[in-house]
Amino acid sequence: MAILEIRHVSKFFGGLAANSDVSFDVNEAEIVGLIGPNGAGKTTLFNCIVGYYPPSKGEIVFDGRRMNGLQPDKVCKLGMARTWQKVRPLTNLSVLDNVVVGALRRTSSMKEAREHAHEQLRVVGLDTKSSLSAGALPIGERKKLEVARVLATRPKMLLLDEVMGGLNPAESEEIIQLIMTIRTKGITQMVIEHDMKAIMRLSDRIVVLNSGEKLAEGKPKEIVENPQVIEAYLGAEE
Amino acid sequence: MARYVRIALITLALGGLIVLPLYVESTYVLHMMILIFINVIVGSSWNILGGFTGQYSVGHAAYFGVGAYTTMILMQFKHVAPWWGVWAGTGVAVVTALIIGSICFRLRGPYFVLASIAVAEIFRVSALNLKNITNGAEGILVTEVPPLTVGKTLITDWASKVPFYFTGLIFMVMIIVVTALVRRSKLGYYFQAIREDQDAAHSLGINPTIYKNTALAISAVFTSLAGSLYGVYVGFIDPSTVLALDLSVQIVMICIIGGIGTIVGPVVGAALLVPLSEALRSNAITDALIKAGVVSAESKVGAFLKENLAHAHVLIYGILVVIVILFMPDGVIGFFRKFGARRRTA
Repeated sequence: MAILEIRHVSKFFGGLAANSDVSFDVNEAEIVGLIGPNGAGKTTLFNCIVGYYPPSKGEIVFDGRRMNGLQPDKVCKLGMARTWQKVRPLTNLSVLDNVVVGALRRTSSMKEAREHAHEQLRVVGLDTKSSLSAGALPIGERKKLEVARVLATRPKMLLLDEVMGGLNPAESEEIIQLIMTIRTKGITQMVIEHDMKAIMRLSDRIVVLNSGEKLAEGKPKEIVENPQVIEAYLGAEE
Repeated sequence: MARYVRIALITLALGGLIVLPLYVESTYVLHMMILIFINVIVGSSWNILGGFTGQYSVGHAAYFGVGAYTTMILMQFKHVAPWWGVWAGTGVAVVTALIIGSICFRLRGPYFVLASIAVAEIFRVSALNLKNITNGAEGILVTEVPPLTVGKTLITDWASKVPFYFTGLIFMVMIIVVTALVRRSKLGYYFQAIREDQDAAHSLGINPTIYKNTALAISAVFTSLAGSLYGVYVGFIDPSTVLALDLSVQIVMICIIGGIGTIVGPVVGAALLVPLSEALRSNAITDALIKAGVVSAESKVGAFLKENLAHAHVLIYGILVVIVILFMPDGVIGFFRKFGARRRTA
């Protein structure tokens, strides 16, 4: 069953079409990879979905509800949360407090929020660093903190924007395991990633964007063999 | 252990402040204490918006003035007792705050700062020109504060400084308790999340507009209480004292000097700045230097200082503030915390 339906979504900045007529579905508990060369419009699409700005045209339906024009806080309330490509820790708060902020979305009790936050830190493996200031974490752990923070809002669906960007292979592997773990909780995930090996391993399906348009959609195996995708990434053969 | 030490210190400080008027009869000391209380109240109120929520308003004189004017107008022209008037003042301040907030909070960072200055100036100019309501530049002079009675018993006739001292103390304890409660609650976490990164906070389900306005409303309530107290205590207000840009800046200074975003910061800031500016203004420094024999009153230097130091109080005040900001960017509290942390690790 589709939890997220993207219907003919376009986003224009002035005359520039960052997304044009993109349509696809994401099914419940699925991991969908969103790939494409730089400037393909992946992050723009994420921003449209979470309400950072409204799409210029088209419709976004999440969990049976039309999302166009909803503000990010409402979108989060409905059960959709995103991480940022450029991580945005609440620098002067402790690691735990960062996650508590997310947990408070679902409860007003500080005690409950703290317990829930501790649980999420265990899931991402940051439980030993909970009292450090978030600004003191290295990049790999900041990415994990982002994930813990959105997990704490108890989402139905996560949008992960390049959670492996800038990480070394060992750290990337940890994130891959983390995404697998999150899937076992029944949380749907859409993942933007440049690491092709990782995305091929993770995704049930992959959507390819190029110059703002959907170029292809299918199983990882179909995507790697798709001549159009190869052309978009490597250029056409002479 | 640290917890008990803290509780003991707070009890001791509060007890000391409560019994102080019994032992100190100097009206000057009481006057200074009342001024310090008022400054702690405005500093702490600003701290909720600026320190916790990260919205640097340099227009808090607006709420101070709105509170002061509401209470004074009601008391002087409508014969409403000030202990009722102050609450009307807070009501007007909250409504004002929400109107200003819903407009200005669309702006971020330096643009919000500029807007807050502009709005406060609008209030000052309005108070100058709405002569039939505010008396314009003449200001409002209190002729008589009605005595406070419960039943037939007289509580106070406001003749001495003591009742003002205790009113200030109560308001100050109230804002400090409110700050401590807010800091530990969901509200406090949301405020700080917005301060750290508004977009990240928004995507974690926090509506920045609602929470910024909440912070401003809490802040405005206590700023207006301080304004009302100031008006009734001094007995005179005019636009150039209670609605001045100087005042807005002073409110921010208290927090910057003391330590932004901490509970004790504004207390320390006010306790340092009020006596300092008072000492500079009254030329206490020259007198002290002469008394200590550093310069003689008859020498050229002594005469020069005597002549000019009091006039230069704003200049000296400014230089001191710059020095503190340069060497203690996290305020006095931040400085000593860092110092303490270094000693502990060493």
